[in-house]
Order: sequence, then C-alpha cells, then structure tokens
Amino acid sequence: MPRGRHDRYIRPVAQFRLQGSRVLAVDMAGDSVKARNGSMVAYTGQMNFKKLTGGGDGLRGMVARRLTGEQMTVMEAKGQGTCYFADQATEVNLVRLNGEALYVEADNLLCTEATLHTGTSFTGLNGMASGNGLFTTKVEGTGWAALTSNGPAIILRVTQGTPLRVDPGAYVAHTGNLSRHLKSGAGWTTLIGEGGGEAMQVEFTGEGLVYVQPSEKATFGGDV
Amino acid sequence: MPFTRINGKMVEAAVFPGQQLFSQRGAMIAYTGDVTFKPNLMGGQGGVMSMIGRRVANEDTPLMTVEGRGSVLFGHGGHHVHLIDLAGDTLYVEADRLLAFEGSLQQSTMFMGAQGGVMGIVRGQVTGQGLFTTKLTGHGSVAVMAHGGVIELPIAQGQPVHVDPQAYVAHRGDVRNKLSTALGWRDMIGRGSGEAFQLELSGQGTVYVQASEEKL
Repeated sequence: MPRGRHDRYIRPVAQFRLQGSRVLAVDMAGDSVKARNGSMVAYTGQMNFKKLTGGGDGLRGMVARRLTGEQMTVMEAKGQGTCYFADQATEVNLVRLNGEALYVEADNLLCTEATLHTGTSFTGLNGMASGNGLFTTKVEGTGWAALTSNGPAIILRVTQGTPLRVDPGAYVAHTGNLSRHLKSGAGWTTLIGEGGGEAMQVEFTGEGLVYVQPSEKATFGGDV
Repeated sequence: MPFTRINGKMVEAAVFPGQQLFSQRGAMIAYTGDVTFKPNLMGGQGGVMSMIGRRVANEDTPLMTVEGRGSVLFGHGGHHVHLIDLAGDTLYVEADRLLAFEGSLQQSTMFMGAQGGVMGIVRGQVTGQGLFTTKLTGHGSVAVMAHGGVIELPIAQGQPVHVDPQAYVAHRGDVRNKLSTALGWRDMIGRGSGEAFQLELSGQGTVYVQASEEKL
C-alpha cells in the first residue's frame, strides 16, 4: 500500500501526553508529527527526523513563510515508539482543536499532529509593536497541538462585552472568534521617558480563549 | 538518605559526625548547626593519581567536603535538582552536573571514548561532553542538577533509548553508550532537522533526560 501525503486511509493517530509539565511525550505507531526543529530530547523505538521545506503547507505556505519572516523551522518526526520533545525548559500546554483555528506565535509552537494544517496569517501593526513580527502562525484542523510558555500559562476567556487586554510580551496564543487591536496607553509621560512600562496592550474582543504566560519577552512596547 | 527535597530547586542535607558529604564548591545556600566546608584539593576521592586523572580529563569540578553536625541547604544557578538513590549500582554523570553526594559513594573518572571506537572519540567532540565522565558507585544518594527538571526513561534489553546529547543528564545501570548519527545529504546542504546526532543507550538501566537542550 503506498503511503503518501494524501494517504487518507484509517491510520493510527499520534497520542500526545505530558511527562511532567515541561516534556511532551508522543506515542507514534508509524504516523508522523510536526515539531520545532531540534526539539527532540529523547526517543524509544525507531524514529526518523526530516526538515520540512518551508514549514507551511504547500508551495504557497512556503513562499508566505519566506516573505513574512514567521520562520519556524519545522521537522517531521515519523516512526514507531515514543518521542519526547522539550524546549529550553519551558512549560508545555496541550490544546485540542476540533476544527477551529489556533493563532500562536511561532516561538511558542512546539509540536502539532500531522492532521493539523499550519499557515501564516497577517496581524498588521499588532504584531509589529509586540515584537512578534507582522505575521503569526495559524493552526487549523482536528487534533492536538502543543504550545510552550515561559512559566505555566493561564487561559482567559473573552466574551461579548468583556474584552481582554494583554501585554504583548505575555501573549502566547488564542483560539475562537476573536479580533485583536493594538491599544496604546502611552501619554505625555511616556514621551519624556517616564512611562509605566505598559505603553502597549493588545485588546481582544469577541468570543474565545487567550493563553497568557507569566513572563514577558522583550518587546518594543515594554521599553517605553 | 540525608537529602530532603525542599522544592524543585533546593535540597536539604542532614550532616552527622563521621558522615562526609561532597558538594560542588559554592553550592551551599544556608546552613544551621556546626558545619565546616573544606575545599577539596583532590577534587574528590581516590588520591593524587585520581586527581591528576581528573585534571587531564577535565572532570575536575571543584568539590568541597562538608562535615560536622547540622543541616545544609544546597542549590545552584536556579537549576532543578533531582535526587537519585544508589543501592550498589553505578551512576554515570558529568562532573559539572553534580550538586552533592554522600561520602559513602566511590567516585572515579571513566574514559567514555573507549566505547564505540572512533565514534566514541567523535562523541565527546560533538556533544561537548568530553571523553570522560564521573562515575559514582556504592550505597548512597546523589543530587544532580538539570535545566528544567528530569524525566527518567527505562532502558531494557532490545529497547534502546535515543537521547539528544544536549538533553542527556546521567545514566545508571549496565548501559552501553554510543553516538549514532542520522547524517544525510540534507544536513550537508544545511537543511538538517537539527537531530543529526543522538546518543544511543542500550542494555539495562535508566537514563535521566532534562527538558531542555541547554548545557549547564
């Protein structure tokens, strides 16, 4: 039986589980997962690692990635056994997707099931200020995804009428039907260098979940 | 066992007269009671020849001897600490990952290059682990440091475990250690998956792996 990319027969599905809070264990039986390049820490059984060209799906994804700088070098891990992934001792969060889309910073995406599609989406100025670039990674489909966060992430629910503002450096990911806008809290004190360090925030409105980490990466907004 | 876990990054050691502890120099955080810390010129046990051996092997992480009566808190660099109990078996660990261990354990240096022929020599160069490693044998407990906590993976006959050399912390038991490569044409043209080198551990025992690719 030929096994190709478009092989859609009944096939075993990779099982994601956490080994402690910082290591992701994936049980595989001949199937594959996509993971950040070099994030494997150990495996049992037989595994092969192959860098995926471009990382996105298809030629368009590849070109998009080249242009956008949302470069997450991705490898495909395929084989039989258990593979363990970790990234710089960051906490791992498992997210189950049932057809919805997950938007995540490329730096925070550790591993996705092969059934999920990854692409890039334009965030505009929001991303610029947060130091995340103009584009973010969009994960779609049905299956498991593993995110990393610096410290245990909290999940905040956003509903109609209760918008959420997040520090751009602490933002990790979001799901659901959310729109995001950049809000500036900068006043005249910021201009003379006496800002409170919270000059930029990202506001989420709509319905969905936002993942926030208890740590702030260096951002443009955090400096002023 | 003299060590008690305070939290993920600190251990408390009870010290009694006649029972020595060895610890990495400077790893003491606080102590109570009447405890003395002596720099260990020999860098451990085994006399002068052993000291020279360690110097040559670059496994001469400065150790200190802890003696007296009281209790001592150990921690270093904010790294996670993992306690390992030895009951007559052997632990192989890099010297700079050793936080503290009981004086009842025999310390020696082992040449790792001998395992696996030429690849053994290459192993040290590629993994940055050097050709030598520290070996602890006997009855007692060891506190080992790792970045981001440790998971234990069992190794059984016919079920080898492959470990990223940077994430490898220590191993125990009757384990053979070999560098395996998955170098292909992709790596040659700079399109590697970042997993070109792996340590293959086979035999019977346990390997300790940290949740990070950061060396200490």
